[in-house]
Amino acid sequence: MGRALLTVSAHELRTRLRDGTAIVIALIVPVTLATLFGLALGGDDPPLRATIGLVDLDGGEFPASVRREVAGAEELKGSVTLRDLPDGGEARRALDAGEIGAAIVFPAGFSARVGAGEGGDVTVLTSAGSPLAGVVAGAVVDRISAVVDARTLAVRAALLAGVPGDEVKELVERNGAAGPALALTGDPLAGGKVDLAVYYGSGMAALFAFFVVGASFRSLLTERKLGTLDRMRAGPLAAWVPVAGKAVVGFGLAMVSVCATWASGTLIFGSSWGDPLAVLTVLTAHVLAAAAITMLVAARVRTDAQADGVIMVISFVAAFLGGSLVPLHSLPGPLQTAALLTPNGWTATALAELAGSGAGVAAVAGPVAVLLAIALGAGGLAVLGLRKGMLL
Amino acid sequence: MAAMTAALACRGLGKRYGDLVAVDDVGLSITPGQAYGLLGPNGAGKTTTISMLVGLLRPDAGEVLVGGVDLAREPLRAKARIGYVPQEIALYPELTGRENLRFFGRLFGLPRRGLAARVDEVLDLIGLADRADGKLGAYSGGMKRRVNIGAALLHRPQVLILDEPTVGVDPQSRKAILDGLERLVADGMALLYTSHYMEEVERVCDRVAIIDHGRIVADGTRRELVSLVGGADTVELVLDGDVAAAFGKLRAVEGVSEAARTGESSVRLLADGGRYLLPSLITAVEGHATVTAAQVVEPDLEATFLHLTGTTLRD
Ligand SMILES: Nc1ncnc2c1ncn2[C@@H]1O[C@H](COP(=O)(O)OP(=O)(O)O)[C@@H](O)[C@H]1O
Ligand SMILES: [Mg+2]
Repeated sequence: MGRALLTVSAHELRTRLRDGTAIVIALIVPVTLATLFGLALGGDDPPLRATIGLVDLDGGEFPASVRREVAGAEELKGSVTLRDLPDGGEARRALDAGEIGAAIVFPAGFSARVGAGEGGDVTVLTSAGSPLAGVVAGAVVDRISAVVDARTLAVRAALLAGVPGDEVKELVERNGAAGPALALTGDPLAGGKVDLAVYYGSGMAALFAFFVVGASFRSLLTERKLGTLDRMRAGPLAAWVPVAGKAVVGFGLAMVSVCATWASGTLIFGSSWGDPLAVLTVLTAHVLAAAAITMLVAARVRTDAQADGVIMVISFVAAFLGGSLVPLHSLPGPLQTAALLTPNGWTATALAELAGSGAGVAAVAGPVAVLLAIALGAGGLAVLGLRKGMLL
Repeated sequence: MAAMTAALACRGLGKRYGDLVAVDDVGLSITPGQAYGLLGPNGAGKTTTISMLVGLLRPDAGEVLVGGVDLAREPLRAKARIGYVPQEIALYPELTGRENLRFFGRLFGLPRRGLAARVDEVLDLIGLADRADGKLGAYSGGMKRRVNIGAALLHRPQVLILDEPTVGVDPQSRKAILDGLERLVADGMALLYTSHYMEEVERVCDRVAIIDHGRIVADGTRRELVSLVGGADTVELVLDGDVAAAFGKLRAVEGVSEAARTGESSVRLLADGGRYLLPSLITAVEGHATVTAAQVVEPDLEATFLHLTGTTLRD
């Protein structure tokens, strides 16, 4: 049967390549869309640049050290710029206009109150449109809070120890809780956050895997219409040979497609999707699930034209719900739950985990197991359907 | 004659689609070198029967033996002995004739070594050796039909099963196809030939089964079948006037055993001593219509069909 299988596969591959649409759908469209999405949505503001507004109503040492630290931090060089704004209202306006990505507001008398051990509050204004700027501003403010807490504690301790109020400040600063030094520790951008270019790249890979692998099962219906499938089935070869021969090609082309999208994302945006072995495992499990689902479609419809339509609808619905088109966290709650019904949702979750954490295969064992279960379930139903429809 | 293992035999084949009985208790047996015809109008159940014989359709009842091998139990061994020519052209239009044959040859397990030679041999057999490298989609209907048959011959089957192989074919290609089939039979191939063209079945087949509404109503040699009609002749009349009323009168004429409308203004009658009955037929329609043409034909399978089923093969 090996030779018969090879004959079917070779013919399928040749037909797909001759057709030309195979290359377009497997390579050109997903890579182009992933690149365009990456440039458009991952582009100007996040993840490459952010402007943070600074409203300094205090005029004291804290705002000054923020300026100093942001300017001095190696990690933020070229990517984060501070812009001075006169008041909170102006900051809100600039934020809404998209001129800045976030703002930090120091109220009047902030530094003095902290110096007196009374603590103080800094306000951070963020916008959903620039998550990156929000992250940076948040990191800066976290740092300020830590210093403020340490400062407040030290001052209170000194006062309790009986040091006269006007000497406390000098004492505390001399003894190490050195002023509001805002040394930013590490890269505030790293950890827990995925480059949007990776997000859209993996989304396109997940979406197009359906089309690429589905085309092979669709061609089974084309051959039924053509009568060549019956000619094969009447010949001395096992019934699974035509289906398997095509499935192998569909699977292979889909793997090439997702890997090409992955490679192009890495090359164009320089952003890693995470541990290569783990990424490959997730992508393989996704393609298997997509193959089983499109095979089930082919088993249930009558004509290749119907298969086209149904595969199109299922692919886009799964892509939308599963976060291949719109990031999962920007979907409303119920839809985020619906994502768990799609392979795309599990694939997106797993790939986000890998890109964000740099973890290995073990970290995504759960989503991969779910993807394989979807593949087995849909595949089993598909085989039953194909048997009944005498395609197998 | 010593019992010879039939190249193809079936017993009690049946298939229903819901309430419709498509095939009912069909049995037949074909020996090597025999050409067996399955003659019946559209919808009689020929394609359904063939689909079960080649393993494309699971029968509701009955069994199929190919050279003694049970098709249900050992499908691959049984199928290796069958060449199946589908009713529609089942080939890849974007490939050339030769590429189509090569594909199916490889798929059907022809050894790599002999493949090209066997493809050439088959191309010779179907008379397309010089046109083999054109795209199939650009072939004429007759050429496509010939490749359709050729693709079933590649793996040297012992039984060739053809489902209406000459539909939509020009007379020249039709003759080439029938000549080719006769040569194959002469070389010992068993043939199952279905058609609703009586002339073809009469020419190619030495044994014929008449199928109607899923049942085989009679089978035998051409001579045996024709003798079922007895001494009756077929009379074809062309009428002018109230044909329906005239038809009613005609079927009541003494000696007319069967009558069928064959067209807008034509009828076919089965009548004992047809030629002597002509005058009474002409007077019978008087007042309703006039007979503008009359022809008395020797009994043939068409007449047998009319005799057995009361209808015509073609409508
Ligand atoms: N898949 C099917 N579903 C329902 N009815 C069918 C199917 N295939 C054939 N039939 C019916 O079975 C009968 C026999 O059809 P068929 O075998 O194609 O006749 P023939 O080949 O002699 O023209 C017809 O009435 C046809 O409508
Ligand atoms: Mg038919």
